[in-house]
Amino acid sequence: MNSATYLSFLEIAAGLVILCAIVTLWRRSLRAIVRALAVQGMALGVVALVLGLHHHDDVLIVVGCLVVGAKGFFIPTLVKRVLANEPMSRETSPLVNVPASLVGAGALTFLAYGATRPVVALVSTSAGRLIPLGFATLLIGFFSMVVRRKAASQIVGLLLVDNGIALVAFLATAGVPLLVELGASLDVLLVVVVLRVLAVQLWSKFAVLDLDELQELHD
Amino acid sequence: MNQFAHFMTQVLVAVVQVFAVAVGGPLLLGLMRKVRSRLEGRVGAPIHQPLLDVRKLFAKQRMRPRESSWVFGAAPVVLVATVVAVAAVSPLATTHPPLGQSSDFFAVVFVLLLGSVVLALGALDTGTAFGGMGSSRSMTIGALCEPALLVAILAMAISARTSNLPALVRVGLAHPAVIASPARILALSSFLVVILAESGRLPVDNPSTHLELTMIHEAMVLEYSGADLGLIIVGESMRLVFLLGLLVNLLVPWGVAERPGVLFFCVGLFALLAKVAVAGVMIAIFEVFTAKMRLFRLPELLAGGFVLALLGAVTAVVAR
Amino acid sequence: MLAFILLLVPLVTGCVAAAVGWRRWVGWLCTASLGFVLVTGVVLATRVVHRPALSEFSGALRVDALSAFMVIVIGAIGLLAVCQSVRYLEHEISSGHSSTRRATLYAVLVQGFITTMLLAVVAGNVGVMWVAVEATTIITTFLVGYRRTRGALEASWKYVIICSVGIALAFLGTVLVYLAALHASHGAHASLEWTSLMSVAHHLDPGVMRLALALLVLGYGTKVGLAPMHSWLPDAHSQAPAPVSALMSGVLLTVAFYVLLRFKAIADGALGVGFSRTLFVTAGLLSLAVAASLLLSQRDYKRMLAYHSVEHMGLIALGAAAGTPLAIAAVLLHVLGHGLAKAVLFLAAGEILLVEGTTEIDQVKALLARRPALGGVFAFGLVALLGLPPFSLFISELNMLRAEVHVGLGWVAAVSLVLMAVIFGSVMSHGRHMLFGARPDGEPVHKSPSLVTVPLIGALVGCGAIGVLAWPLDSLLRAAAMVVVK
Repeated sequence: MNSATYLSFLEIAAGLVILCAIVTLWRRSLRAIVRALAVQGMALGVVALVLGLHHHDDVLIVVGCLVVGAKGFFIPTLVKRVLANEPMSRETSPLVNVPASLVGAGALTFLAYGATRPVVALVSTSAGRLIPLGFATLLIGFFSMVVRRKAASQIVGLLLVDNGIALVAFLATAGVPLLVELGASLDVLLVVVVLRVLAVQLWSKFAVLDLDELQELHD
Repeated sequence: MNQFAHFMTQVLVAVVQVFAVAVGGPLLLGLMRKVRSRLEGRVGAPIHQPLLDVRKLFAKQRMRPRESSWVFGAAPVVLVATVVAVAAVSPLATTHPPLGQSSDFFAVVFVLLLGSVVLALGALDTGTAFGGMGSSRSMTIGALCEPALLVAILAMAISARTSNLPALVRVGLAHPAVIASPARILALSSFLVVILAESGRLPVDNPSTHLELTMIHEAMVLEYSGADLGLIIVGESMRLVFLLGLLVNLLVPWGVAERPGVLFFCVGLFALLAKVAVAGVMIAIFEVFTAKMRLFRLPELLAGGFVLALLGAVTAVVAR
Repeated sequence: MLAFILLLVPLVTGCVAAAVGWRRWVGWLCTASLGFVLVTGVVLATRVVHRPALSEFSGALRVDALSAFMVIVIGAIGLLAVCQSVRYLEHEISSGHSSTRRATLYAVLVQGFITTMLLAVVAGNVGVMWVAVEATTIITTFLVGYRRTRGALEASWKYVIICSVGIALAFLGTVLVYLAALHASHGAHASLEWTSLMSVAHHLDPGVMRLALALLVLGYGTKVGLAPMHSWLPDAHSQAPAPVSALMSGVLLTVAFYVLLRFKAIADGALGVGFSRTLFVTAGLLSLAVAASLLLSQRDYKRMLAYHSVEHMGLIALGAAAGTPLAIAAVLLHVLGHGLAKAVLFLAAGEILLVEGTTEIDQVKALLARRPALGGVFAFGLVALLGLPPFSLFISELNMLRAEVHVGLGWVAAVSLVLMAVIFGSVMSHGRHMLFGARPDGEPVHKSPSLVTVPLIGALVGCGAIGVLAWPLDSLLRAAAMVVVK
């Protein structure tokens, strides 16, 4: 792969990751949001694959395939099961309305750009310049966890945070050591499973889907 | 002598471009209606029907509300004039249009937006309820579009290091990778959203509705008749063609004449018309499957457009 | 091999529990495994206290004085909590709140919880530490939600969401540290081994390390329960079964803090102490302020204890901010003392909940008169926790304050003293309400089972003994402090 195509592939995949993050803020239908999450997971896998092919790093290629499988298919399917409980799977009243949160996402992107300058300066490869996009995805995930009120939306926000971090990890270091990478991915997977179990229990026992209804514990 | 010949060619290029846009505009409207009819299972009017409509309107008597001032009459003329001005100097069929150095993206787009403002003023001038309502809605949309548009252009300008339109098209021709860069793609998608909103297409406005609650653009032109209305239809359709022309030339610049010569220019012209027609057909197909958004949801769409543009700008800065 | 066996024993015990299901003897077996952990911790401590660190499996497991000390903390408090779990589970089963199957699950999860905490403190690789800390989150989620009431499920939802995000940030911080290490070693073999990170600490890029440390403090700080990321803590600690609350409050928080201390050592090498001091002082004072303001009007005694943990984590953070060997030794002593006292209190609170059936402070009256043993344990626990002599928290708090003044953080010490005074007053008034008063006529004096009171009294005596003698731990604490202070 010559360096120009490598770079444009990388740019497009990384751009797609953050674009999907924006889409999750933009859309109200939870199904569409989960679809965006799946696309994001695949784009993330493509980033790893492209990097692996470029650096002739077999481990990274394997990791890329695993990411596509886990984040592109498996985790979205799990989240979709959570949605199966919700008859009206729409994010009807987020704490911050959609236009404002989109503008907020824009502001966060700039914040990410500012915050990562030392990192970008240190990495100094062409792939490293895309690191702010990973940070922006992370911040958007945070933001959507804070302003969204549905159980499923919070899971999606958490996964956005995780995908953003994974993007930074791939771009900055071409992946942390494999053991840690696998441990991290497994943990995320388990967290999603745990959240799913909790969501199902909350729904089946107390018919709670909206986190605003969780008001029992406070000071 | 040589200079004079050069000058004449430039004038000729400008005239042909303006003519193509002027005729192409109504034809595009007809084409889009035809596609829509066919997809809905109707035969539909012939493609050149809007041209016939316009000819009919020019032959009709012009009626103006008694209380209206000169603004009412000037609005359609200014609308058409703005499109003519920018169509003459923009890289539509060739990358070396007349006065190419001054054809700045910002300038072109904002001269074009002048048309919307004048139209809103004309609608307000009548003092009717519909006119006021339409203008207020249209200005709301305009105000939401503007930041998105500014930032989208900025994003493209950052990656190409210029906001000069012919240069932007040439960069795309010389380095196809620039077109595939996320910055350009994001900026152009935002640009597309703005085009749809500004020219009153679905899902922002339904061009064929006359339902009071929903209409935006139609409400503004309700009081116009005769040649005034004809001018407005021509002006609006020209604007759509022009904007789509810009979009396709920035997205798929191939075919645009890069060198002087009649043959190259003709190829460029046909390529342009073909690309715009394809874009128009795609929009028409999209419109068949789309419902109009509620007015209160529009800010969401346009804020989305804004964020796309913003992301484009950030990626452009990052990837520089 | 010892560190590996240390991990293996609780794990195998958990497998046994899973295989045979809940029995009384399984509970005692689990308790025995924790006893083994404690003894191994002491053995490890004697081995490494004056000698270099033990390294197993080419550095994958690494035990130095600090790790050994943390193993002792986990062993001691784990022993207390697991032995009380037997009583808790039997009560739950006999009252019909729980089935044998769920009791088995509980036992297995607690063993897994202990194993992951042990892994976090004996791992030589900061990436593995991260994986272990994250694993504790996943395991404890089910323990927090064990009672399956609406409140418990709500608490576990908040717990897992907030802690997962926090720990994700910590992962990002770890990645950035790795990035800095890659560049510091010029592409040569770089790893996430703590020792190799320490050896290149002076060459790590300061800009990246600043960002990394901020993310790590934010991330692990969430698990530690430092404000403003503490909001999960009162919910989770008040809803979990008492032994689990004791484990979480007594050990889990400080295990996360242990990882933070390790990273602080690396970052201090790269940045000097100034930056980490700012971060820790901010988080510490904020935690104290939050705890002080929310303890004033607290109506629930379990939540009161939980906010008290926030306070103590804030104190520990301030001690770490001072960063001298004396300060770190005091921090570690405080970790042990707070762990013991808090575990005792949570277990006593769990017993109070069992017999009184309420967690409202207003509903519990005259404990000392009605239930002398239980009330006495609770009272002495509070005294210990408030940092009164002879308990070890007095010494450690005093030394931390001294260290803060010594390094020029006198104003921090002053502010924290004021906030501690506020907390002292509000906890005293809540405690007075619960403990003192006359026994209503006709109500007999209740006896508490000695199975409950004896271990708790033992723990309190231990806490007091450490405070008075400081003998067996002195050299270990000093050696452990020197691990992370250069």
